[in-house]
Amino acid sequence: MFSFLKLRNATPSILGVVFILFPASHYAANIEAGKAKAQSCVACHGPAGNSVNPEYPSLSGQPAQAISTALFRFREGNRKNPIMSPFAADLSNADMNNLAAYFASEKRTTAHVTSPQNLSLGPELANKYNCTQCHGPNLQGLQHIPRVAGQQHQYLITQLRGFKAQTRSDMDGNMSSAAANLTDNDIIILSDYIAGLAEKPAP
Amino acid sequence: MKRKIISTLIMALAIPAFAQQKPDEPPPRWLQGRSEADAKSTLHPFNPKLTGADISELKMSKLKLPPGFNIDVWAEVPNARSLVRGSKGTIFVSNLAANDVYAIVEKDGKREVKKILKGQTAPNGIAFMDGTLYVAERTQIKKYENIEDRLDNPPEGILVVDGLDPTNGPGHFWKYLAVGPDKKLYFNIGSPQNITIPNYVQATIMRVDPKNGRLERYAEGVRNTVGMDFHPVTKKLWFTEHGRDWMGDDKPSDELNVVSKQGENFGYPFCHQGDIPDPQYGKYASCDQFTPPALNLGAHVAPLGMHFYTGKQFPAEYKNSLFIARHGSWNRNTKQGYDVMRVTLDGKGKVAKYEPFLTGFLENETGDPPMWGRPVDLLVMPDGSMLVSDDYNGIIYRVTYKKPLMTASK
Repeated sequence: MFSFLKLRNATPSILGVVFILFPASHYAANIEAGKAKAQSCVACHGPAGNSVNPEYPSLSGQPAQAISTALFRFREGNRKNPIMSPFAADLSNADMNNLAAYFASEKRTTAHVTSPQNLSLGPELANKYNCTQCHGPNLQGLQHIPRVAGQQHQYLITQLRGFKAQTRSDMDGNMSSAAANLTDNDIIILSDYIAGLAEKPAP
Repeated sequence: MKRKIISTLIMALAIPAFAQQKPDEPPPRWLQGRSEADAKSTLHPFNPKLTGADISELKMSKLKLPPGFNIDVWAEVPNARSLVRGSKGTIFVSNLAANDVYAIVEKDGKREVKKILKGQTAPNGIAFMDGTLYVAERTQIKKYENIEDRLDNPPEGILVVDGLDPTNGPGHFWKYLAVGPDKKLYFNIGSPQNITIPNYVQATIMRVDPKNGRLERYAEGVRNTVGMDFHPVTKKLWFTEHGRDWMGDDKPSDELNVVSKQGENFGYPFCHQGDIPDPQYGKYASCDQFTPPALNLGAHVAPLGMHFYTGKQFPAEYKNSLFIARHGSWNRNTKQGYDVMRVTLDGKGKVAKYEPFLTGFLENETGDPPMWGRPVDLLVMPDGSMLVSDDYNGIIYRVTYKKPLMTASK
């Protein structure tokens, strides 16, 4: 019924190049270019994007689209932060895609140790409040949804309190909606639990 | 005294209970209306790549069109959504997630993309009339007069109407905007939830006269429409409508509707696809009270922009055909949509044929994500070519037609 559309001036050689460059990944972004650009990021976000400051988020091991989305929204002024906004202001879309590819390629490490009590309370709360619904069963993130497993403890608390108070920028309203029912005690427990998750699956 | 003690006691008991338990708190919006049977479902909406795709990443060779048609990349605009053309040839492009409005102008044979409005709130709806650009944001419509002469220094917007999101609801707050043959602006106010009884202005198509600001309800019982056009001959309003979620993979169908007279009701939240009573609200009404769809478009296909083809470039049988951009499903285990469909009407204005036109964005129907691109809106250009926006990649494609010189086989 339909013929294959002809690519403009498509020749086997061009198709070959396209195939080699983009075998299966969604991003043609350049990890090396991202790494070079990341020199100013790691001062706060830690070596390879593994933050050592409880206030600053880790970027390592994030889904690439989660990073590029956050950077884009800082640049466009949808999400505001006095420290972060100026860094995003001069980045091009290609820079953002490269940075995203780089940090996504790095491995997340965390030194946070969850208290035994919260280790037992956490999984049920994460389920009850639908965290796993979007962030994935192991809270590793997916597409534009950030990985929260192994994220900095204080950063998580600040974000969740912000979402609950509707002061934290929220692209689609989903996080504000999800956080609306949290008590502050829930936030403390969840943040302690999630910050201690590394690669291990949530029970 | 005794009564006071008792009431104090009740309060003392009740307050901690209230603080802990909030029985009336609604579920998060994307779970609203989900049944217990789906409680373990991991289905979720897909978000656009806001930084856009590199052109070299686009899988253009996967796209399919009928013989003689071709497609190429026409422009890059982050999160490109609605498309309209100014009378001097400017193409305006709206955003939903990125909060800007762009203008594309051809200059010295080159296409230039300019960001003309920033910091808008979900400015999905745009329309152009008599030199003025109208922008529908979440709560208001503003106008930008004489815009094409002021693209580098756009004027402040002048308010046409506000109060368009009365409950600050979590869902369907974005608008689609169309200019009617009566020179009024038509737009949707969506249902604030997946499934709920809407208030007086919600789940409607409204219209406002930009001359005097007079606001009317034009159609009701419309869960959410993000695509409208007026038939070139009959001048009736046709629109696409998204059906509710969490009723299973195959129901209800999304709809193509036509309004024959002001005030018609299309059934939401009581009746879906013309013949399925809602599991929760269906008992309060009967499907035969409502105007049935002109066509059921498929379950969870998410029809967005739709336009009648009024150009001269495509073959003659395409005249007044209706093209529908289907954004594609999320609330379906096996995904469908992610294409542009063609609807042919017969001499009486009834649907005669519904067939694929532009396909190939859907790569893996059970993948996550299942697609590499998502069509949003369409625009027929003066030369008869058709633009297609893709908000996922931040790309505008152009579909052209050239009669094949030779046909090798049938």
